[in-house]
Amino acid sequence: MKKFIPYILLILVLFLPLILRETPSIIGYLNLVMIYGISAQGLNLLLGIGGQISLGHAAFMAIGGYTSAIFVVHYNFPFIIALIISIVVSAIFGLIVGFPSLRLKGFYLAIATMALGNVVGDVLRRMSITGGDQGFRNIPTFDLFGFELESYSSKFYLILFFFLLTYFISRNFIKSKSGKSLIAMRDSEVGALSVGVNISNAKLLAFILASVFAGLSGVLYAHDISYLHPSNFALPLSINLLAITIIGGLGTLWGPILASLFWIFLPLIIGSKLELLSSVIFGIVVILVVLFLPRGLSEIIFRIERNLKKVNGI
Amino acid sequence: MILLNLLIRGLITGAIYSLTSMGIVLILSTTLVMNFAQGDMGMLLAYFAFFMLARQIPYPVVFVIVILIGILLGFLFEKYLMSRARKTSHLGMVMITLALTMIFEGFVGYTFSTMPLLFPKAISGDPLQIFGVIIDKHDLFTFIVSIIIVIVLFIILYKTKIGIAARSLAEDEFGARILGIPINSIYLFIWMAAFAIAGVSGILVAGRQTLEPHFMVVIQLKGFMAAVLGGMNSIIGSVLGGFLLGMIENLVSFYIPQIKDSFSLILIVLVLLFLPQGIFGKREVRRA
Repeated sequence: MKKFIPYILLILVLFLPLILRETPSIIGYLNLVMIYGISAQGLNLLLGIGGQISLGHAAFMAIGGYTSAIFVVHYNFPFIIALIISIVVSAIFGLIVGFPSLRLKGFYLAIATMALGNVVGDVLRRMSITGGDQGFRNIPTFDLFGFELESYSSKFYLILFFFLLTYFISRNFIKSKSGKSLIAMRDSEVGALSVGVNISNAKLLAFILASVFAGLSGVLYAHDISYLHPSNFALPLSINLLAITIIGGLGTLWGPILASLFWIFLPLIIGSKLELLSSVIFGIVVILVVLFLPRGLSEIIFRIERNLKKVNGI
Repeated sequence: MILLNLLIRGLITGAIYSLTSMGIVLILSTTLVMNFAQGDMGMLLAYFAFFMLARQIPYPVVFVIVILIGILLGFLFEKYLMSRARKTSHLGMVMITLALTMIFEGFVGYTFSTMPLLFPKAISGDPLQIFGVIIDKHDLFTFIVSIIIVIVLFIILYKTKIGIAARSLAEDEFGARILGIPINSIYLFIWMAAFAIAGVSGILVAGRQTLEPHFMVVIQLKGFMAAVLGGMNSIIGSVLGGFLLGMIENLVSFYIPQIKDSFSLILIVLVLLFLPQGIFGKREVRRA
């Protein structure tokens, strides 16, 4: 029984656009949920597995999104090529930030990434190719070999594809040798060092994966929303992404998407009047999760899984 | 003459940076928590001050009330949140300070407004001119108050029992515990002091610019940078680092305006490459 649950879920998700075809705006929101989920998954690998705190994650999203937008709009590259270029660019940036992190302690890295986020925003504001403070307008939608994805539901399937891709990459990363050595290092530095775990490469890999995921989600965001502005990728988004990973449950695979769902739909549920209060609620939830739910919202999944096991036993 | 003007202004901006970075380092060196809420606590208290001032309560009274509220909030924060989070994980504590910034910014945006408000200066009037150096009166007030606070804090840290205990805690937590130092009350004292400082810096900064929910974010970042520059484990270093940062920043933005924005990152990278302990920091012995 338990074996089939993921497939049933997947089939349900695949039919979501058909079920919700009366309300396409919800599909649009679900697209955003997956986009932020991808980005948060990257941060989850970095923070939850690697134990490195980054306060400039949104800047990597901006780097990916702007790179793709520039190549598609100004140089008329096809979307796929632009996507590959932006992923390479994000990987390079991840490497640049990752190298010093091998020597730095946690809080220095946090400050350096915070400063990086600020600088990326300022540079994007000043360049003319990015549209400066006016924002980058009229970015074309996804163009897959001549097929333009216009509707929310067609975008949904593309974004779902990338979401599942990142999900499987993260799952394999956590199970790989790199992931396991990072977890060992996170849980007990002395213990890991004394059995000869070397984590330099694993840490770098975590950084690269995190920035590639962020870059990918930035690309998807750019072509989904078709508008970019530096202030959308400033410190508040980085903090929110951190909060998403914490609320979802650090190091859990389902955490980022669950918390991202919560983050996107919270303002919609409490209504436009109280929208400003949503960050207050979100902050309170973070505190509650830190104090009482170490595995965050993923606790729900774990509970369901446990109950299923019980059912199976009978 | 221009150079002198720039340096004096840098000193005044630096005074604010050093207040913030002192609060950050005070927390970091004793509790090992990066306090992201230092700036936004100041923002919240500055909003309280704004509405007290709008009710015609005189400035000095408001100033004292804000410090008292800061102390109270620090007490509640440590007593009911941090002491519990300390049992879970280190990252959890850092996340709580980040959550606090989200709560404060959302709360202020909702209850007051996100529109910029004009915060009254401590002393209004035409700028003074001393030996050709033009100084705004509020800036002078800012500088003097910052210096007084720094001096008061140093007297507390070096001359009183609780201050010396706090420093011993920063040096070696295990040793402090063995000596029977009441760690929990030191934590309380440290958070109370940090949030009182936050309130003062909030009022002082608000008088120099307009009041809006994000106005302390930049100051917070600069406070971190000053702490990196001066050394993360040295309180004197953080104060001097703040002044130094203010002056360097003023000079750079005047002489090389092209790199004004990227300057923060360049400085951090340079410091971390060549002086990883900061200018005044002590080299840390790695303990298991």
